[in-house]
Amino acid sequence: MLNRRDFLKAGAGLALVAALPARAASGTGHVVIIGGGVGGATAAKYLKLYNPALRVTVIEANRSYIRPYGSSEVLTGHVSMDDLVVSYDALKSKYGVEFVFDTVVGFDPAKKQVRTAGRQSIAYDKLIVSPGISLQYQAIPGYSAVVAETRAPSGWIPGTQTALLTKQLRAMRPGGSFVIVAPPNPYRCPPGPYERAALVTEWMRRHNPTGKVLILDPKDSFVTDATMQLGWHRLYGYDIPDSYLSDMPAGVKNSGKPSPIEWVRAMDGGATERIDARTLTVKTKQGAVKADVLNIIPPMKAGKLAFDMGLTDASGWCPVDRRSFESSVHKNVFVIGDASIADAMPKSGFSANNQAKVTARAIVDQLAGRAPGEPVWSNTCYALAGSDYGLFVADVFRLKDGKIARVPGERYLPIDASPAKIRLAAAYQQAWLKTFTEDCFA
Amino acid sequence: MGTLMKISIFAFAALTAAFNPVHAADPTGEAMAATCAACHGTHGKLDVVEFMPLAALSEKEFVRAMQDFRSGKRPATLMGHVANGFSDIEIRAMAKYFANVE
Repeated sequence: MLNRRDFLKAGAGLALVAALPARAASGTGHVVIIGGGVGGATAAKYLKLYNPALRVTVIEANRSYIRPYGSSEVLTGHVSMDDLVVSYDALKSKYGVEFVFDTVVGFDPAKKQVRTAGRQSIAYDKLIVSPGISLQYQAIPGYSAVVAETRAPSGWIPGTQTALLTKQLRAMRPGGSFVIVAPPNPYRCPPGPYERAALVTEWMRRHNPTGKVLILDPKDSFVTDATMQLGWHRLYGYDIPDSYLSDMPAGVKNSGKPSPIEWVRAMDGGATERIDARTLTVKTKQGAVKADVLNIIPPMKAGKLAFDMGLTDASGWCPVDRRSFESSVHKNVFVIGDASIADAMPKSGFSANNQAKVTARAIVDQLAGRAPGEPVWSNTCYALAGSDYGLFVADVFRLKDGKIARVPGERYLPIDASPAKIRLAAAYQQAWLKTFTEDCFA
Repeated sequence: MGTLMKISIFAFAALTAAFNPVHAADPTGEAMAATCAACHGTHGKLDVVEFMPLAALSEKEFVRAMQDFRSGKRPATLMGHVANGFSDIEIRAMAKYFANVE
């Protein structure tokens, strides 16, 4: 693998295989997008919607996309791995987006070119990088990419690890422990680890009724924590920690009985110090926990490509001008989605989709010599405490003093929401999976 | 004097807001409408039944729905939270955008 210096060199001084972008008509040009995930795909589609005369090329390693959002539903058999596959056909046929199925191995920001493993040099007027996350397996002593593929999957970027985790859950001994090691902030899909815990608990009630789910957490709170725990309490008899009880609706009372789902916070010794992959043991401050199935969601940073291209800062994420998401490091390069530093916006698919649209508009305006407009973004993360028990966080975001801030106000499902609303939120979560995929990819 | 000054500044601000249909720092109707698309479909067009299609909705209906969501008059799961993020002027700009989608 190339180091960063080699990577930057590899982009320089090569004969151009692809034609230089034609910029005859004002406002047109060639926008190259690296990464065909939610951010990259949405950007490609909306660039073509905003200016059909633009040439838009997506460079993507895989022929189709595997969606991470909703992928915990594979564990419970609600959907299959095949259901996660999203085609790029509509972006090509309906919008005229060009695809190069290849990997970027070189980058020359001065010449505005990228180079692929297939030895193509591709010139751009504007470059969007949407590299997603990289999982920091090595940040947990005893954990590694190899362990994740064979023994203790993360299943956080859907694929072989999701399939392995599903297989392990099905094969778990009666009464076994499914242990989830939750990640520190910031990470992709803030309610995700807790939704996964809920769905596995629900699944075990039917298929392994004496089995248990245990969440070991390096944090003391999470997005949607009060409403999610109320769901666990109602559905699985989970005892709500004292510090949350005052927020609960009248009549909520802990039973004191053991529950099939348990959340160990940092303050209660939930932070993982190391793991033993052979025995599936997690060592925490509090002691050792032996798992039957061990699902480790490790710390995260920007996707590897962002590091190779020199787009990250000391935090491991990519600093950008918040108005357009143009990189603070390289001009004419934009970083969107989970890899970007977006302040109050969570690292979610919905955020990436909204960032892509703002960036697409900013690029179209820049190429046409227009001043950029005022940006606005929103995010909704639906999450399930059970198949028919939905909840959410919903926000609108604005630019404020150069940073992205949420518009103040209510953001969660009301704690006293009616059963009908809770059921409706679950129905909306399922509908959203469809409408969201369409808005990004079709 | 101080009080008078405050009053006149307030009056001026109120006048400016009333006479500027869209403030210079407001996002365009198109930009705001794009934030709805992740649930309500690109350009407000969609084929699931769970969400309201917004394409070609009359301006009046859109404005009333958003204002009622914001005030709580119309029950909602999360649309009350979302509507709270937009001003009356912005809601009208979004309404105009969706009304003109063919």
